[in-house]
Amino acid sequence: MTTERLATKPVEAAPKTRRRRFSLGVGAHFFGIGAFYILLIVFFSITSDNFFTYSNSLNILSNITVLGIVALGQTLAIVSGGFDLSVSGTVPLGAVAFVLISNAGFPTPVAILLVLLIGAGIGLANGLIVTRIGISPLIATLGMLSITAGLAYTLSSGVTVPMKNFDAAILADQTVGGISWYVIVFLLLCIVIALAMRFTVFGRMLYAIGGNRDASRLAGIRVDTISTVIYMLCAALATFAGVVVSSQLFAGSATVGADAALTSIAAVILGGAALFGGVGGVGGTLLGVLVLGTIANGMALMMVPAFYQQIATGAILLIAVGLGRFRAMIAAN
Amino acid sequence: MEGILGHLLQTAAIAKSYGANRVLFDIDFTLDHGESVAVIGENGAGKSTFAKILTGVIRPDEGKLCLDDEEVEFHSPRDALRSGLAFIPQELAYVPDLTVAENVLLGQWPSRFGLTTGARMLAQARVECERFDIDIDVRRTMRTLKLAERQIVEIVKALARRARLIILDEPTASLSEHESQLLFRILGRLTASGVGVIYISHRMDEVYRFSDRVDVLRNGTRVASLSPARTTPAQLITHMLGQEKEDFTSDARQRQADEQAVLQIRGWRRDGLPSLRGIDLSVGREEIVGLYGLRGSGADLVGEGLAGLHRDIQGEIALAGAGTRRQPFATPLAARHARIAFVPAERKRDGLVLVLSIQRNLGLMIYRLLSRFGVMLTGRERRESADLAARFDVRCQSLDQSVESLSGGNQQKVMLASRLAAAPRLLVLQEPTRGVDVGARVEIHRFLTEIARRGCATLLVTSDVEEAVAVSDRLLIMREGRIVGELAGPEKTQANAIALAAGGAKT
Repeated sequence: MTTERLATKPVEAAPKTRRRRFSLGVGAHFFGIGAFYILLIVFFSITSDNFFTYSNSLNILSNITVLGIVALGQTLAIVSGGFDLSVSGTVPLGAVAFVLISNAGFPTPVAILLVLLIGAGIGLANGLIVTRIGISPLIATLGMLSITAGLAYTLSSGVTVPMKNFDAAILADQTVGGISWYVIVFLLLCIVIALAMRFTVFGRMLYAIGGNRDASRLAGIRVDTISTVIYMLCAALATFAGVVVSSQLFAGSATVGADAALTSIAAVILGGAALFGGVGGVGGTLLGVLVLGTIANGMALMMVPAFYQQIATGAILLIAVGLGRFRAMIAAN
Repeated sequence: MEGILGHLLQTAAIAKSYGANRVLFDIDFTLDHGESVAVIGENGAGKSTFAKILTGVIRPDEGKLCLDDEEVEFHSPRDALRSGLAFIPQELAYVPDLTVAENVLLGQWPSRFGLTTGARMLAQARVECERFDIDIDVRRTMRTLKLAERQIVEIVKALARRARLIILDEPTASLSEHESQLLFRILGRLTASGVGVIYISHRMDEVYRFSDRVDVLRNGTRVASLSPARTTPAQLITHMLGQEKEDFTSDARQRQADEQAVLQIRGWRRDGLPSLRGIDLSVGREEIVGLYGLRGSGADLVGEGLAGLHRDIQGEIALAGAGTRRQPFATPLAARHARIAFVPAERKRDGLVLVLSIQRNLGLMIYRLLSRFGVMLTGRERRESADLAARFDVRCQSLDQSVESLSGGNQQKVMLASRLAAAPRLLVLQEPTRGVDVGARVEIHRFLTEIARRGCATLLVTSDVEEAVAVSDRLLIMREGRIVGELAGPEKTQANAIALAAGGAKT
């Protein structure tokens, strides 16, 4: 029935199709950030002898993993037209919960699975609050941030909970060719999510919803269901980031990852996503995360105090987004 | 009634072109103090352009504008307002969460050292209302007012800025009968006190109730200036339309509608505004049924109801091959599953995802066809979208171009193509050529005829009478929530359609 179509015009030569750009809609911005990243590498290589080495590269990769995992979830949320502030609470909650469950004697895989389920539950709550009750993502996830952060403090009684069984830290302990498991898991997640965003129906719908929620609904897309699933994925990824942190530290603490929301949103936006949705991708986010991680690493090697890193991060975000606006203005004229 | 003060407003040989397209020709227009004039004409007759020139939104290419016999030139609506010309647009611009008093005095709140006092503001707003005997509680927030009351507040706001001439654009388009009367009473008081009123409309029923004079615009020219008391609706319609254009009227395709009805609607009702008061209609295979009505007639509701956008409509719907339902579809998804395709009027808001590429938009409704186990078949996606783009003659450099970068006509074609990609059994269109250029309009009309001929039942909801008459095989006219007439064959003329829609009889 779809083959007997309603031909209205003799089929002429179809419009030429160019090769698709790396990540949908990111195009020029992506190359801008890429160029900036290369400059950054050149700069730090000159200023510090230890920067451009294999071991330091691995170091950077390890250090960005936690932020990267959260930013992957945040990418889904932002591209679909929402965002999730509650990750600042779900990361520490994931960390504390993982250690407590593991200390209670559960095998590590079971503990990880339970933590992911907790995350999915939190995301489900976020999604239902946003789509059913109609509270804006800002307020809904801000409220959830407070609840989950408070839960993390309550469960840990406000102190760092040490891991009783160090075997639980397999994600950090085990390595392949000097690379920790968690880095490999992160890279796999990047690939899976990038493919899902580009080559699945789910990915197509995610971009459509982010680009125009009303039109998507009218086109018969289950807008609310997909949004809810995305909040679930985002929160589950955040709790998984918590598992990684506690594996790195052999302990769970309610204070780790408290800056996750702002940093992950910064990374996603730096990667060229639009805060109002419909534009962005894993490639851009990964670059955004790398830029932030590399600045932190390079500045640490230069012995610059950590506070300055925060200032630099903020400045770079504003400059990158400002340049994007500037380019859009030129393009409009 | 030439007053001793001379004319309040006089224009001489006003003309305006957009590029090679001349939209106004030598308009000479006068308005006296306390006079009310209705300016009527079809869509595209130049009414809005004229109003925009009067209020300084755009500047004329030629001609001059005199206020109280003094030549004036407006560079902005602010300029016009300063000279006493106020424009009340169809879409009112007010602050919904502020009170009536705050809105009336918006931007000129009484203040001392930057502080303002509620009491003084209320008192001053009350004075403004009392000048024209307007009884409205100035402490209420705008949001809680009825539409007519909000319009009245806007008028008071203009008067508080000492407006001497008020121009209203389709003021009663979304008002109930009762509300319209309220508005007219107030406007009557204004003219009695010397304020001039110009009143842009394409509805004729109002003209008789209110204005001192009716000026008719057609294709940018003022073709008649009439006294409402001595003019019949039929005469007015003749002036509006001129010699009726010869259209490519559906090459006499008379269909047997009920014989093979694809869609049947029975007894659709809805309370509220606009309301539906018992709609029955059917659309046959290969048939284009037009549904024409002025704004607020409920025609839009019928189309949207078929698309699953109004749960509050009561009544039956029967689709060939999908049985009968006691209720219209509750969601757009349910409508799509029943293979109803809906082309909404607001393509940017409801129809397209502007930031995404042409290809992505074309695939919006056929994910199932373009995927297997949830994974997109990118080759098929590309072929299908290239095919659709070619068939609907979407002009673009690349299918990866964002839809945002296309012209209105091409965007419309992308939207149409995306809906038809799903091979619907019923196509429902709402204002399919609004805001597209003439070339694209002709093309889209040709597509519709072609699509219907290939077996797709089509319901065309439009407020564009030319389109309604030219494209439909059978034309239903709606007014105040009812179908008030059906036109086909030689009776299907623009004059008849307009007359029925406005509450008259066939000529």
